[in-house]
Amino acid sequence: MAAIETFYDVIRRQGVTRRSFTKFCSLTAASLGMGPIGAAKIANALETKERTPVIWMHGLECTCCSESFIRSAHPLVKDVVLSMISLDYDDTIMAAAGHQAEAILQETKEKYKGKYILAVEGNPPLNEGGMFCIDGGKPFVEKLKWMADDAMAIIAWGACASWGCVQAAKPNPTQATPIDKVIHDKPIIKVPGCPPIAEVMTGVVTYITTFGRLPELDRQGRPNMFYSQRIHDKCYRRPHFDAGQFVEQWDDESARKGHCLYKMGCKGPTTYNACSTVRWNGGVSFPIQSGHGCIGCSEEGFWDKGPFYERLTNIHQFGVEKNADEIGLAAAGVVGAAVATHAAATAVKRIVSKNNDHSA
Amino acid sequence: MTRLLVGPFNRVEGDLEVSLDIEDDAVASARVTTPLYRGFEQILIGRPAADALAIAPRICGICSVSQSLAAATALRALYGVAPARNGIIAANLAHAAENMADHLTHFYIFFMPDFARAQYAGRSWHDATTRRFKAIEGAAANEALQARRRLLEIMGILAGKWPHSLAFQPGGTTCAVDLGQKAQLVAIARDFRRFLESAVFAAPLEAPLGLKTPQELERFCEGRGADGDFAAFCRIARALDLENLGRAANPLMSYGAYRDETGAFLNAGVFDPVASALSPLDARAIREDVSHAYMRDGPEEPSLARTEPFVDKPNAYSFAKAPRFHGRPTEVGALARLAVHGHPLVRALLERSRGSNVFVRVVARLIELAMVAEAAESWAKALALNEPFCVVAPHDGDGEGVGLVEAARGSLGHWLGAQKGKIRAYQIIAPTTWNFSPRDASGVAGPVEQALVGAPLEGHGASAASVQHVIRSFDPCMVCTAH
Repeated sequence: MAAIETFYDVIRRQGVTRRSFTKFCSLTAASLGMGPIGAAKIANALETKERTPVIWMHGLECTCCSESFIRSAHPLVKDVVLSMISLDYDDTIMAAAGHQAEAILQETKEKYKGKYILAVEGNPPLNEGGMFCIDGGKPFVEKLKWMADDAMAIIAWGACASWGCVQAAKPNPTQATPIDKVIHDKPIIKVPGCPPIAEVMTGVVTYITTFGRLPELDRQGRPNMFYSQRIHDKCYRRPHFDAGQFVEQWDDESARKGHCLYKMGCKGPTTYNACSTVRWNGGVSFPIQSGHGCIGCSEEGFWDKGPFYERLTNIHQFGVEKNADEIGLAAAGVVGAAVATHAAATAVKRIVSKNNDHSA
Repeated sequence: MTRLLVGPFNRVEGDLEVSLDIEDDAVASARVTTPLYRGFEQILIGRPAADALAIAPRICGICSVSQSLAAATALRALYGVAPARNGIIAANLAHAAENMADHLTHFYIFFMPDFARAQYAGRSWHDATTRRFKAIEGAAANEALQARRRLLEIMGILAGKWPHSLAFQPGGTTCAVDLGQKAQLVAIARDFRRFLESAVFAAPLEAPLGLKTPQELERFCEGRGADGDFAAFCRIARALDLENLGRAANPLMSYGAYRDETGAFLNAGVFDPVASALSPLDARAIREDVSHAYMRDGPEEPSLARTEPFVDKPNAYSFAKAPRFHGRPTEVGALARLAVHGHPLVRALLERSRGSNVFVRVVARLIELAMVAEAAESWAKALALNEPFCVVAPHDGDGEGVGLVEAARGSLGHWLGAQKGKIRAYQIIAPTTWNFSPRDASGVAGPVEQALVGAPLEGHGASAASVQHVIRSFDPCMVCTAH
């Protein structure tokens, strides 16, 4: 049997030291909530398993997901993960160009049939035969379907790939369409947010490339480990919400005291994301901490849920709590997409681990 | 004559395609295509005016603060509100962080790796350049990414999150900085300065900031700053004669950068590099020509213009419109800002070349980096913690508001019209729309299309490095271009 190439081989070739590698494994295990045994598991997998190639493609988008990704808190995490994915294809940072780059896609497709991860930033516009996003002379939607055919699974980065995002806002001039409405026969993991938090992105990539399968997902296809709680649940301003202390104007006395931003239009109570725990830009802050409410950028349809500067009216201050799945199911029912959502969920289940790794 | 198609481009924000007509192994004429369109100007119509603050920044994940500030400035004009002084300083500081991050990314991740290409193997500088700058593997990229990440913690402090920050409002910024945060801002600005002084210039910032003539620049690169990446670039530029590559002689325009109540840190204006003449900026002279864009005809004034795609339009080849100033294609960016501001070194390099070129574009970007890094520290110190960061602004107002700012890549304008508090019209002209403009009705090519003419291919066809150098010297941001 020919020697297989592991991630560890690749990382070593990139000049990452053993010590750094071990550190990386423990950091990742911690960020995924896998506990002390997790680090050894990750190390073992990276040292012994054949590496999982990642192809990173850009459709109709603003590159904010890539921007977020390359600023992961721990430089080491970024370096290692970057060397994992950049080996193959990413048109923002890679070295190859033009036909050479297209050849890499073809080669990966053949050599790693059914084994590679397709990470998609942005989405395909379907109006005018896909004319609004032409990549290498062809509509992006064709390239997307072509690469998806032989992929093991697809990562839908950000609000664009997951839900459509601002370019799908009314009247959606280009008919920008989320990935799961175009690709029906592959497991898709949605990592929503505009953009998603860097640490969430690296966590997801590392989990999948390490274990060769998707982490546990909720009914909307999002990884539970990062999207099972509302911003509101872990918001450091929550006591002020409960106490009825609210900011009424930007930078008023209540604002200086860090009171709740609900009356300024904050959508934290209806938004599932990890901003209030993981935070942004190296764990420094998140929108609410900067004195502005959450606009719910990881929620489906957030772009058409304005005005953004008026108060939410449908929140029960001390009402019954709902979890992401319940709200997701209700949403699916309302838009009449229950069948499609369900089909996608079933496909995903096939490669989702039965053993709950991160709670072990 | 043969025709070559270059693209898809790597290391470019968004998609770009360039079609080249080749004669005698050199570019005879070029057409630049922006193949990506989302329709922000259509999407914004009918929404509450203030919602532009949440929607418009999402045009671009690279320069989202610039987009936010253009929208906030347009709303300011519409509401007739004067923002809090602290809010202006905080916004300038965040804007500086984003712009400096962009310049750094451009130099280390997008531009320099092309000199590590196999095409240059055998040149005396190739091995060292490859070790330092090769895409993914080079040592410099990692150092730069770390410095950049640290720099952007400014964004965390002032804006909560980046890209797509929400803190920038017509009345100022929503984040009232406290003493601890102010200390952190100063420390981050100093760390960034240290990175510039160790890796980029290999000398205290005063040295590059004091360069006034091409001769001084040359001496700096051979002497005091010889170990820096800036000097490495200058030496390569001399070896490859980048001063004679990517030449263009269009007017250079700046809307004025980092304004406060006393004026702009870098002045507004238009500089003609051929006549060496400076004139004031008259934004009313801006028009958008759609003769070669996949757009329906309509009024050319930005405040009246519509954006309606028409993909079967004959003769069209780009989703980008063709902006013109007094009817002429106009170059924007760091070079234009420093030329307008009167930077002696930049003016001298422009005069020597009778226009812009690859070399002076990159030099201007790095000199501006040093200037803004120095200023950023003083801005952080100027925050007066007991004074307001945001004043109360009305949330309705009818009429028009124009927001003109300078993004890293050049002049960015938002033209907003509102009726009964709702957006009636919205028109955006981004920096890369100016530089990567298609031809206009008189057949005059855009700045990059002009700059590509004459680029030698040296038998490498579509993969010739010269073409990459010219295009990247403008630092394209294609997602902004047609939006």
